[in-house]
Amino acid sequence: MTDDLTAEILRNALCVAAEEASIVVVRSAYSTFIVEGADAAAAILDARGRLVAHSLSTALIQCASLRSALPYVLKAHPAETMAPGDVFVLNDVYQGGIHANDLLVFRPVFVDGAPAYFTGTLIHVADLSGLSAGGMASDATDVYLEGLQLPPVRIATADGLVDDLVRVLAANSRTPDKLVGDLRALIAGANVAARRLEEIIETHTPDGLARGVADYLAHTERRMREGLAALPAGTTHGEYRLDDGHRIQVAVTADGRGGVEVDFTGTDEQVPLPVNSGFSQTHGGVMYAIRCFVDPALPMNEGCFAPVKVTMPLGSLVHCTRPFPGGGRFGAVAAAEEAIFAALSEAGSGPAASGILQAFSISGVTRPWLHMSFDLGGAGARADHDGADATGALFGGGRNIVPQAEPIEARLPVRVERVELVPGSGGAGRHRGGRGTRTVIRMLEDARVDTRGDRLLRPPPGAAGGEPGRPGGYYRERADGTREPLGTKATRQPLAAGEALIVETSGGGGHGDPAGRGPEAVRRDAAEGRTA
Amino acid sequence: MSVTLASDVGGTFTDVVLIGGDGRVHVAKTLTTPGDPAEGLLHGVEQVLGDAGVAPGDVGRFVHATTLATNVILERTGVPVAFVTTEGFGSMLALGRQARVEEDRYDLAYVQPEPPVPLSRTFTVPERITAAGEVLHPLDEEAAQEVAERIAREGVAAVAICLLHSYANPAHEERLAEIVAARLPAGTPVVASSAVWPEIGEYERATTTLMSAYVGPVMASYLDRLGGRLRALGIDAPVHVMESAGGVLPAALAASRAVYTIESGPAAGVVAAARLGARRGLADLVSFDMGGTTAKAGLVRGGRPGITHEFQVGGKGSFGGRRPGTGVPIKVPAIDLAEVGSGGGSIAWADAGTLRVGPRSAGADPGPACYGRGGTLPTVTDANLVLGYLDGFGGFALSADLARAAIAEHVAGPLGVGVTEAAAAIHDIANAQMGAAVHVVTVRRGIDPRGHTLVALGGAAPTHAARLAERFGIGRVLVPALAGVGSALGLLHADLAIERARTFLAPVGALTSCSAGAGLLGALAEAFAGLERAALADLAAGGGGAAVTRSVGMRFAGQAHAFTVDLPPGPITPGTVQRAAEEFYKRYHESYGIDLRDPAEVTTARVRAVLPAGARDLPAPAPGPRAAPGTRPIWLDGAFREVPVLTRAGLTGEITGPCVITEPQSSLLVPPGWRGTVDDGGAILLEAGP
Repeated sequence: MTDDLTAEILRNALCVAAEEASIVVVRSAYSTFIVEGADAAAAILDARGRLVAHSLSTALIQCASLRSALPYVLKAHPAETMAPGDVFVLNDVYQGGIHANDLLVFRPVFVDGAPAYFTGTLIHVADLSGLSAGGMASDATDVYLEGLQLPPVRIATADGLVDDLVRVLAANSRTPDKLVGDLRALIAGANVAARRLEEIIETHTPDGLARGVADYLAHTERRMREGLAALPAGTTHGEYRLDDGHRIQVAVTADGRGGVEVDFTGTDEQVPLPVNSGFSQTHGGVMYAIRCFVDPALPMNEGCFAPVKVTMPLGSLVHCTRPFPGGGRFGAVAAAEEAIFAALSEAGSGPAASGILQAFSISGVTRPWLHMSFDLGGAGARADHDGADATGALFGGGRNIVPQAEPIEARLPVRVERVELVPGSGGAGRHRGGRGTRTVIRMLEDARVDTRGDRLLRPPPGAAGGEPGRPGGYYRERADGTREPLGTKATRQPLAAGEALIVETSGGGGHGDPAGRGPEAVRRDAAEGRTA
Repeated sequence: MSVTLASDVGGTFTDVVLIGGDGRVHVAKTLTTPGDPAEGLLHGVEQVLGDAGVAPGDVGRFVHATTLATNVILERTGVPVAFVTTEGFGSMLALGRQARVEEDRYDLAYVQPEPPVPLSRTFTVPERITAAGEVLHPLDEEAAQEVAERIAREGVAAVAICLLHSYANPAHEERLAEIVAARLPAGTPVVASSAVWPEIGEYERATTTLMSAYVGPVMASYLDRLGGRLRALGIDAPVHVMESAGGVLPAALAASRAVYTIESGPAAGVVAAARLGARRGLADLVSFDMGGTTAKAGLVRGGRPGITHEFQVGGKGSFGGRRPGTGVPIKVPAIDLAEVGSGGGSIAWADAGTLRVGPRSAGADPGPACYGRGGTLPTVTDANLVLGYLDGFGGFALSADLARAAIAEHVAGPLGVGVTEAAAAIHDIANAQMGAAVHVVTVRRGIDPRGHTLVALGGAAPTHAARLAERFGIGRVLVPALAGVGSALGLLHADLAIERARTFLAPVGALTSCSAGAGLLGALAEAFAGLERAALADLAAGGGGAAVTRSVGMRFAGQAHAFTVDLPPGPITPGTVQRAAEEFYKRYHESYGIDLRDPAEVTTARVRAVLPAGARDLPAPAPGPRAAPGTRPIWLDGAFREVPVLTRAGLTGEITGPCVITEPQSSLLVPPGWRGTVDDGGAILLEAGP
C-alpha cells in the first residue's frame, strides 16, 4: 500500500514537473500565439531517450519531436561532455525537429555526475528567418528557405546564455526581441522542470526515481499491449489523399498479442515544397491514431511507443530527407492518421474525415510585427454521434490553442471582426460533421499574409453515405466588401490597411445517409445553427 | 464585545454557532430544509440564542457560508439567462476554449459539451470599442432595442452582457444594460462584464459574467428572504457571506457578485483548518470536512490554503472541477479543494452483486434509516451505528434496529452477507471515497500527504478521519473542539474582504520618468483611488478600520502573463513603481532562473480591502461534568471488541486507541495503534503508533 502510494506520488510529481515547465514557458514567452493560446510542450525524458512524462497541453506531435530529437542531441554532445547548467537547442527536421520555427530546448539533470534525465520544452517561436515572416512560406522549395537551421548546439551553460549564438539567432529574426524572449522562456521552462526533478531525486533517491520510472513505463506498456491485443490479428490497409493529390498509404499489422506495425511503404515520394512531414511528426501522428483504439485514460509515455513499430520510407512524404522541407507537415500527418483510422475500422464503421488545422500568418510591411495563428476545422461524424465543432486538430488540443480577440487587438495592428461557427458547414448525414469556423481579421496597417491549409480542395469526405464537409478557404476582403480567394498555400499576399483576411475552416464529413436523421434532430440543427 | 452568529448550511445539516461577549460558544445542529434553507437556519438561530440567553438585538454580526451557488450550478437549477455580445462573436460561448486534454484527445467517442447558453438565447449587437477604449462604432441603439425586445419575449430571468474591450471602456455595456433592463420586468438582473470582472480576455470575462447572472438571482432572493426573517426575529445585524477565497462579503455584494461565493461552503472548512493548525504550529495540513451529503479535502501548505484563479465549473476528472479547458471557466479566486458527493447520508445499495455507496444521499429528509424519520434506505451513518462507532447525533437518538433492518434488506440480503460485514464494507467504501478527495489535492499533484496533519471537521469526519489517515500513511490527526460544527466556527473569524481589479497597461519606464510619465502616473493613482473607493463602498467601510493593500500586475513588455507585486502604502510615486519593478525582477529570477532586466510594464491595478474580524481564539470548552467512562463493543479489523467509550466534555490527559470519544455533534473513532492528547485549546491531537 505504502509502496504503491509512493509510486503514485512519484508519477504525479513527474507529470506536475512537466506541467509546471509548460506553464512557465507560456507565462514568460513573448509571441502572442504562445502566450494567449497557452500552447507549449514540455516533457521529461531519461538519458536513454525514453519519454517519461509530458505536460497536459502538449500536442502529441510536439511530444514525439522532443522524444525523437534527444538521441541526436546526445549523439552530437555525448553525455560525458555535458556539464550541469548546460542547455541545448535544435530545430533540425532531420534530427527529430519539426521546422525552423519550432525550437526544441533540452537541459540535462545530473545524478552522480552524469546526465540521467532531460527536461525538454518546445514552442513555435516568433520568427527565425526564411522566406516569410513567421516561417510559413509555402513556396519554400528546400529547408534552407524555411529558416535558419540549428543542429543540436549549446545555448546556455552554468554561466548563462551563450551570447554569441544568441546574437546569431537575433540577427536572423525579423522580430529579434520576441525571438530572444521566446528562447529565454523555453530555457526557463526547462530550468524549472530540472529543479523539480532534482527535488524529486532528493526526496525519492536516485534509485527510487529510476525504479519508479521503470515501473511506470513497464506498467504503461503492459496496459498498452493489453489494449492493442484487442485489435484483430492481420494486416489492413488505408489511404488518404492530400489536396494536391499526393497519397499517403498505410498497412497496419496487428499480431493479436499487443504488438502493432504501421508501415507507410507505398506512400508517394517527398516533394520540394513544405508538404512533407519529418519522421518525428509522422511518428507522433501514428501514436495519436493508435492511441484512439486503446483506453484513452492511459498515460502517455515510452510505454505507449514501445509496442508500436513504425516504418517510414526515407524520402517519402512521411519521412523527408535533406533538403526537402517539412514545415507544412500537418496535412501529411493528418492524412496519415485518417489512413490509420480507415485501416483499423471495419468498412462503414469508421469515422468520417475531419477538417483540420488551418494556419496563417500576418506580418507588417513597414515595421516588423507578426501574428501567427490557426483555426481548426470540424471533426468528422462517427457512426453513433455528430462530429465536434472546430476541434479537428487530430493531435490533441482544441480551441484553447486559439488566442482570444481582445489580447490580439491589444498587441497587434489588426482588428478581429468575427469569429464564428459556420452554419451548415458540417457534412450532412445521419450524424452531422462538426462545424468549421469563419474568422475575419481587418488590417490596420499594410500587411502580408501567408496561408497553409489542406482539405480545402478535397473537402473531408463523409462516411457510410454521409456528405463531405463544406470546404473552407482563405480570402481577401477588399475595403469595398468584395471578396477574392487567396491560395490555400499562399505566400506573402499583400493586404492593405482596411482590407481583411477571412479564414474559413472546413467542416467535418457526415456519417450515414442524411435521410436517416430524425425530424427532432433536424429541428434542433436549425435552432442551434448547425444548418443554414 | 458584541455577539457574533455564524452558520454553515450543508446538504444535510445546518450548523449554527454563537460566540458571546464573554467568549463562550453555543452550538446548534439542525436539519437542513432544502425547500427553503432559511427555515432550518432560523431554527438553529433560535436555539443558540435561547441556549446563550442572548437577545436578538445584541447580535452584531451574522456570517454565513452556503453551498447555494455551487448547487445551483452543479444541478443546473439557475435561472434561464440570455447572453449578449458584440456582433460577430455570437459563437463565443459555443467555441469556448474547450481543450481536448488527457483522455478526451484520444477519445473517438468524444462528445462536445453543450454551450452554457443555447444559441437561441444568445444575441449580438452592432457596436465596437477598440483595445484603447475608443468608440469605433457607436452602439446601434435601434438594434439594441430589438435585442431587448427579443430577450423580453424569451422570458429569461437574467441577462449577461459581455462586449469586446468593455474592460477598457464600459460605456456600451452600461448603455445596453439600461436598454435591456428597461424592457424587462423590474428587478430582472442585467449583469455587465465590466462590473463583474473588468479584465482583458473576452471568453473568460463572458463566462464569469454569465455564471454571475445565472446564480445571482437565486442568491439574491435567498439572502433577501434570510435577511427579512432574521429581522423578523429581531436580528438587525449585517449578514456577511463567505466567498470562495476565504474572506467574507456583505450580503448585497454576495448577491450582485454571486460568482464569488461559488465555493463559499467548502472554503469555510479549509480556512478553519488553516487557523486551527496555525494556532498549534502546524503549517502543512490536509483539511477533511465530511458532512451528511459531501466531503471536501483541501490542502494547506506553509500555513496558507492554496488559491486557484481559474475555477472550472463542470470540469472533468477533478471532483469539483479545476482541470483547465474542460469546463466553464470562472475567473475569480477560489480556495483550491476537491469535493466528493459522499457523506454520512450517502445511500448504500447493491448493484448487480456489487456494493455501491452513493452518489444518492438520504439528505435531511428522510435522512438515514437510524434517524427514524421515515428513511428506509441504509446510509454510511447507519453502517457506522451498526459498527458501534456512534451514539446519538445532535439531538437525535439513533435506532440501531432501524439501521440494521435497512442494511439487511438492501445490502446484506441481496449480497448474501451478514449485516455487520455489510456495514463494515460500507464504512470502508466511504473511506475510499473520502480518500479520492484527499488524493486529488495531494498525490495527484505530486505532493506526499504523509508529512501533513489531517484536520477533521464536520459531523461525520471524526468517525472516518483516523482510518482515512491510515490509507495515506498520515500519522497525525487534529480533531478540534466542536469538530462537528468546525466550519461554522471558522466563520466566526473570517475577515470581511473584497478584491477589485482593473486592467491598466503602462510601461514602467513611462511611469518612472519624471517628464512624460506624470499624466500616466496620475492616471494610475486615480485608478487605485477609484478601486479603493469601490472596495470600501463594497464593505460599507467608509468610516475606516479597513486595511487596504494595493498591488500591480507586472510583466516584461511583450509578455502576456504578469506577476502580482505589492505596492507600499502612501502616494504612488516613480519611486514606488521602481521598487515594485525591482521586486518583480527579483521574483522573476527566483521563479524562472533567468536574471533579466528588460523593460517591464504594469498590466493591472488591484486593491484588496479587509475589515479584520478581530481574531479571538476560542476558549477551550468549559469542562463539564465528566461522565463515567463506559465500554461498548465496536467492530475493529474483523471482530467486535469491547472498547472504552469516553465523553469529549472534560476529557484530559492521554488517550489510547482503541476507543470511541463522543460529543453531541460527532463521534471520534480512535483505532488501535493511535494515541492522543487533549491540548489547552480543547483539540485532540491523535498520533499513529510506530
